Amino acid sequence: MNHPKLADLFNEDEKRVDWHDKALWFVRHKRDLSVHQVQGWETLRNYGRAIKAHTLSNLDAYLEEFESNALENGVQVHWAVNAEEHNEIVHKILDEHKAKKVVKSKSMLTEECHLNPFLESKGIEVIDTDLGERIVQLAKEPPSHIVLPAIHKDRHEVDALFQEHLGTEPCDGNPQYLTNEARKHLREKFIEADAAITGVNFAIAETGEFVVCTNEGNADMGAHLAPVHIACMGVEKIIPKREHLGVFLRLLARSATGQPITTYSSHFKKPREGAKMHIVIVDNGRSEQLGRPDFRASLHCIRCGACMNTCPIYRRSGGHSYNATIPGPIGSILSPGKDLTKHSDLPFASTLCGSCSDVCPVKIDIHTQLYKWRQIITKEVKQPFVKKQSMKLMGKLFANPKQFKISGKIARFALKNLPKKIINAKPNVWGKSRDLPTGQKKSFDDWYKNRQKHGE
Amino acid sequence: MASKEDILSKIKANKPDFIELPDMDFSVFDDRKPILEEFIKKVELAGGSIFEVVSIDDVLDKVSSLFPDAKQNYAALNNSEHFNTLNLENVKQAQDLERLDVLVLESDLGVAENGAVWIDDKQLPLRVLPFITKHLVFVLEKNKVVGFMHEAYQKLNLPETGFGVFISGPSKTADIEQSLVLGAHGALSLTVLLV
Ligand code: SF4
Repeated sequence: MNHPKLADLFNEDEKRVDWHDKALWFVRHKRDLSVHQVQGWETLRNYGRAIKAHTLSNLDAYLEEFESNALENGVQVHWAVNAEEHNEIVHKILDEHKAKKVVKSKSMLTEECHLNPFLESKGIEVIDTDLGERIVQLAKEPPSHIVLPAIHKDRHEVDALFQEHLGTEPCDGNPQYLTNEARKHLREKFIEADAAITGVNFAIAETGEFVVCTNEGNADMGAHLAPVHIACMGVEKIIPKREHLGVFLRLLARSATGQPITTYSSHFKKPREGAKMHIVIVDNGRSEQLGRPDFRASLHCIRCGACMNTCPIYRRSGGHSYNATIPGPIGSILSPGKDLTKHSDLPFASTLCGSCSDVCPVKIDIHTQLYKWRQIITKEVKQPFVKKQSMKLMGKLFANPKQFKISGKIARFALKNLPKKIINAKPNVWGKSRDLPTGQKKSFDDWYKNRQKHGE
Repeated sequence: MASKEDILSKIKANKPDFIELPDMDFSVFDDRKPILEEFIKKVELAGGSIFEVVSIDDVLDKVSSLFPDAKQNYAALNNSEHFNTLNLENVKQAQDLERLDVLVLESDLGVAENGAVWIDDKQLPLRVLPFITKHLVFVLEKNKVVGFMHEAYQKLNLPETGFGVFISGPSKTADIEQSLVLGAHGALSLTVLLV
C-alpha cells in the first residue's frame, strides 16, 4: 500500500490522529524552548553541518583511521557491504560465543537490515530493551518514529499488551506502573543475556571510540553485563575528532526532545576486562547516496527526529504510513535512493513547507531534496503511477481553501506546474476540519532562490 | 577484507571534493550565565537533586541521612569502609549487584549547560555500577564545573580511558503516551553533592 492509502487508514480514527498530532507538536515545542536558550544556536547548527560536510569529503580516510584506532583499543572491526552481510557477521559473532539470548538497544540500522527476524530464524532470542521498542516488538510492529518508537500507541494498548505478554495487572494504562513492570521484566533479560547489540550515535576517527546516547540506560545495562558487545554503525556515523562531540551532543537531544542532553552519553573505547567488543561498519547504499550531489547531505543526519515532529504530513499520517524504516521527511529523501520505484510516493508526502529544514540541527535542505526527487521520479518512474500519486496527495492538500491560502506561494507554484485535475481534485481526508501549520516564508524563499540559481 | 576494500573504493569514487573543517570560534556561545547557578538549575531540570556539603568528610553522613533505609551501600571514596556493605571483590556475577541501593562516586567534571556529570574507568570500579544501582550519588568539587560541552572536552584529555559517560539526572522514559517516568533501566534517583 502506498502512502496516501496508509494515511487514509491512520485517519480513520480521528481522535487518535488529533492526539498524535498534538503529542508530536508538543515535542517540537519543547525543542523550540530548549534551543532558544542556547546562545549562538544557528552558529552551532552551521558548525554541525560543516563538520559533517568535511567528514563526507574525506570519509574513506576517516573510516580507516577509525578502524586502526579501534583495533589498537582491542576492538574487532567488521565491514558489511549490505544488510545481508551485516546480518551474517552479527550471527557469526553470536555463534562463536554460543550466544542464544541477545539484548538490543535502539539501532535504526539493525531495523533497516531486518536483523531481528534473521536472528530469530536462527533460533536466537532478541529482546529490544528500549521501552518504546519493546512495546512495538510485543505488538509485532515496526517503530513508527526513530526517537519515539511507540508514539502511535496509547496507554491502554500498552496496558493490554503488557497484560498479555508480561502478565501485568490491569491498571487503566498507568505509565508509572507499566514502566516499572517493564523495568523488572527487562532486568531479568539483561542479567541472562549472552550478548548485547547497540547502535552508534557517533564514531570518533581520532580515538576509535563510539558514543551511544540513551535516556533509559538500556544500552549500558546490556553492554556492561553481557560478555560480548556488538555495535552496529552506518559509515556516515564517523566524526573526525573527540572535540566535535562538543558540537553534536549539544545539538542532538535539544533537537530530539528538548532536553539539554540525554541522560546517558556513553563513550565506549576498550572492552572491559574479560569481555569482547565488536564494531560492524555498514554501507548498504550509503556510498551510492554519497555519489548523488543533490542528495548527499542526507548523510549528515544525526537521527534526532525533529523533522518528523514538525512535519504536518507526518503528524497527521503516522510513521507507519511511510512503509519505510526511517519515516517522515528525512526517510522520504533516503528511501528513494534505495528503491526509487517502491518509494516513489514518499517525496510527494510533503507540503514543501520547509519546516523540516528549519529545525534540522545539521541543516539538511530536506524540502529542496524532496522537490528534486519529485523531478527525478516524474522523469524516471512510469507516468500514470506518479500522476496518480501526486494527484491523490496534492489533491487532498489543496482541497482545503484555508490551507490553500496559507501556502499561497506553493499553491501558485503548483498551479503553474501541476495538471489541472490535481488542483481540482475532490476534498478528502486532509481537508476534513484541519489546518496545516503556516508555510514558513523564509525557507520557501530560500528554496525558491536556490531553484533560480540552478536555473530550474 | 574484500568488503572493506569494496566500500572504501566506492566512497573514494563518490565523495565530493575536499571540504575544509570549519574554524570554530567557541566564544560565540558564551552566554555569561553564572556557572554554578546554571549547573544547579540543569541538574534539577534533568530530575536530579543537588545539595552543598561543607567538606568531603560530611559526604557519607549526608548520604546516610538522604537514604536512611538503604541496606546495600558502596562508596568509591577514601575512608568509606564503615559505609560500604558491598565488597566488590566478592562480586562474581551481575546478580550480586542487583540489590545495591546506594552508590557514591567522585567525579571531577560537571557541565553547567546540561547538568551532566562525567565519570570514567578511573573512578569506576565496575562499569555497570552507576546503571545497576537504585540510587546514584556524585560528589563534585564546585570548581570542577565548566560552562559548556566544548569546554568539557577540552578537559577530557584522557587517552587511557576505556569507558566514560556523561550522566544527567536519573534514568527516564516517556515512551508511554509521552508521560515522563523516572527510573527506566538505570538509577531511580540521582543526587549531586557539591563540595
Ligand atoms: S534530517 Fe535533520 S531533523 Fe531529521 S532526523 Fe535527521 S538530523 Fe534530525
